[in-house]
Amino acid sequence: MTDEIAVRIDGLVKSYDGREVIKGVSLEVPCRRIVSIIGQSGGGKTTLLRCVNLLERPDRAEMQIAGEPVFAGERMVCRDLARLRQRVGMVFQRFNLFPHLTAVENVMLAQMKAAHVDEGEALERAVQLLRRVGLAHRATAYPEQMSGGEQQRVAIARALALRPTVLLFDEPTSSLDPESTGEVLRVMRELAGDGMTMLLVTHELPFAQEVSDWVVFIDQGRIVEQGPPLDVLQHPQEERTKAYVSTYASHFAGGLEEAQRVMGL
Amino acid sequence: MSFAALFNIEWGDYGSDLLDGLLKTVEFTIAGFVGAALLGLVLALMRLSKSRAVRAPAAVYTELFKNIPLLAIIFLTYFGLPSQGVRLSVFQAGALSLIIFYAAYLSEIFRAAIAGVHGGQQEAAEALGMSRGATFAQVIFPQALRSALPGTNTMLVDLLKSTSLLVTISAAELMSQGQLIASETFRALEVYVVIAALYFALCYPLSQGLLWFERQIRAGVPLAPRRRRRLRRARILLDKGVTA
Repeated sequence: MTDEIAVRIDGLVKSYDGREVIKGVSLEVPCRRIVSIIGQSGGGKTTLLRCVNLLERPDRAEMQIAGEPVFAGERMVCRDLARLRQRVGMVFQRFNLFPHLTAVENVMLAQMKAAHVDEGEALERAVQLLRRVGLAHRATAYPEQMSGGEQQRVAIARALALRPTVLLFDEPTSSLDPESTGEVLRVMRELAGDGMTMLLVTHELPFAQEVSDWVVFIDQGRIVEQGPPLDVLQHPQEERTKAYVSTYASHFAGGLEEAQRVMGL
Repeated sequence: MSFAALFNIEWGDYGSDLLDGLLKTVEFTIAGFVGAALLGLVLALMRLSKSRAVRAPAAVYTELFKNIPLLAIIFLTYFGLPSQGVRLSVFQAGALSLIIFYAAYLSEIFRAAIAGVHGGQQEAAEALGMSRGATFAQVIFPQALRSALPGTNTMLVDLLKSTSLLVTISAAELMSQGQLIASETFRALEVYVVIAALYFALCYPLSQGLLWFERQIRAGVPLAPRRRRRLRRARILLDKGVTA
């Protein structure tokens, strides 16, 4: 275990049209750990995640990625935004694969055009990553020829291609059917086993409980409760956390344990 | 009047004139289309700019030249500009007119195609640390090109046919040659039937070829040699993995 902090956020505030959607959130993701952000839709989870690689610009925050300051006060202090983003991989809810390129080319593109790796090396790494997500046999297929689960696994390979320090997942299984969800979670579980640092926004509470080292419950732009997964998900202290967890669990007769069983976790 | 009457004209005497006209028509088409595509792309990018000061002139240009007949533009550049001291050759004036007119239409097609690329594409490329230039060249442009192809191809064939309007400034293209031959032989019907057939012989294969091209692209056939090579290498690497 290492004490290095991959992502450190302090006092992040973000508003749209004068309405604050994140009201001062502080969060740390240590290296080789997995932090899950849970909460109602519209609670600011995704916005927070998108601030980490500066797809959204915070109004105010202290932010460090791998020890390097990227945001201080109201200013971006990151000198090389492209390099920052190469160190922070992102997997989107809607995959966002490049539809005009095959799977292998999707994984190669940023290696060649952002990291300036030569073609042979990029190709080898792409093939190796597609093997890792179990999709070597689909390497020359186009996104539209693949299922949602396959597309998301290619998207994970694409995000891994630049050897990021941390991977961000924005509800990676929300637009997938149960079978595809299982495929994607299996890949993510393997990454967790390999010691990948991850920050994920998810509604898959059983999965969050299984893989996370830390769970953060966000509601109305603030952290309501955080802690080890068993504490937050099984013995929540705050009323709002209890309500959220029980709403989710009530979809399944036997609560969370039953949910886990149903999903094969 | 029988079909055989077409041969009352000694076509052999005019073969080289027709060939010259045909070549001139092709030259006007290439110069006009390449110029219009480049200007159209610049206009489309201007119209997608965040700055109103950049958007406005491009919008004015497009609306202006979409609503003026091509013939008026041809007369303005060839007969009008000399009064201001700008003397263009027939070829320059003809090509410029085609460029000015078709850039307005192409910019509309390109603008819609670029704006139609899903916002998530830009984000995905940005999140991978790609520069704005690389994002446009590698992600946005290739996708926009695919959706712009059908409209662009129609415009190309239309442009080819519109070169016949250049007969009004005696541009030595196919239609002008036809007019000369007709005035020498007094056989307008035969001459213009042949001229029309020649236009058809140019346009039909062109539009069919472009349709084939569209279908290839839609089917995901990699057309660039570099992509073919890359995918071949990927398959070789993959096969090795299976046997290893």
